[in-house]
Amino acid sequence: MLLDLSEEHKEHLAFLPRVDSTVVAEFGRIAVEFLRRGSNPKIYEGAARKLNVSSDTVQHGVEGLTYLLTESSKLMISELDFQDSVFVLGFSEELNKLLLQLYLDNRKEIRTILSELAPDLPSYHSLEWRLDVQLASRSLRQ
Amino acid sequence: MELSEYVQKGFQMLADPGSFDSNAFTLLLRAAFQSLLDAQADEAVLDHPDLKHIDPVVLKHCHTAAATYILEAGKQRADKSTLSTYLEDCKFDRERIELFCTEYQNNKNSLESLLGSIGRSLPHITDVSWRLEYQIKTNQLHKMYRPAYLVTLNVENTDSRSHPEISFSCNMEQLQDLVGKLKDASKSVERATQL
Repeated sequence: MLLDLSEEHKEHLAFLPRVDSTVVAEFGRIAVEFLRRGSNPKIYEGAARKLNVSSDTVQHGVEGLTYLLTESSKLMISELDFQDSVFVLGFSEELNKLLLQLYLDNRKEIRTILSELAPDLPSYHSLEWRLDVQLASRSLRQ
Repeated sequence: MELSEYVQKGFQMLADPGSFDSNAFTLLLRAAFQSLLDAQADEAVLDHPDLKHIDPVVLKHCHTAAATYILEAGKQRADKSTLSTYLEDCKFDRERIELFCTEYQNNKNSLESLLGSIGRSLPHITDVSWRLEYQIKTNQLHKMYRPAYLVTLNVENTDSRSHPEISFSCNMEQLQDLVGKLKDASKSVERATQL
């Protein structure tokens, strides 16, 4: 099953080949961290200054990457399907490999995070028990 | 057992064959037990034709005295000698003491059961139902393929007569943990009852 990437999404991701692969790896790390803990817009500003682009561009890049990872993890697409989906973006081999690795490395954790969003019933946590013997009450002694 | 003058007076009247003949005595005694133990009992319990000749005020007094005494005796788990002693003090003759003790003995278990059920307690489990399901996908996660249990405990509360339900879900490990701990608890109870 191939991912269906919207035009807007592809535009956002188009930022990735413009930067170094270490930067992309760092974006990947930030993306997963944001999934774990929530996003922190200050990070975008710091990165934007260092890379000399607008913070919006950085934000879109990271969010685009996040969405790519979450969609792939949600659908649990195969390696081949992931590669084929990313192929349409026209990135370099190196970048494609990096993205695939990012997917494979983080997929399990992302799926765990996504499972927390599902409707849930109260679930068992643990059982504590105590054996009591009633000796007396106000209405019955001994 | 500390009993009020009211109770004592009531019993003294009950003891008097002039006020209560044997038949009336037995009827009143039974009525007292019935009022306490029979859930369907109502005020008509004293409406027996053989009690009609007795002054209703006296009847009520003695009925109340008897009921009060029975409850106190039940609460303290009085034995035959304690009962006899008090009744002797109230001038009951041997026959009436025997009658009282017999009636008391016959109703002792129901009485203790009734007294024991008064009071607050935690709700207790009456039934369990479970459902095993297989989760396939959610809107956030596809291809889940994992089993889960949905367990419902039916619970009863003697106080409020309410029947709430406690429902929760658990996966295989959690259910094993729950069952394991319940087994521990039940083994503990077995050991405790053997002591």
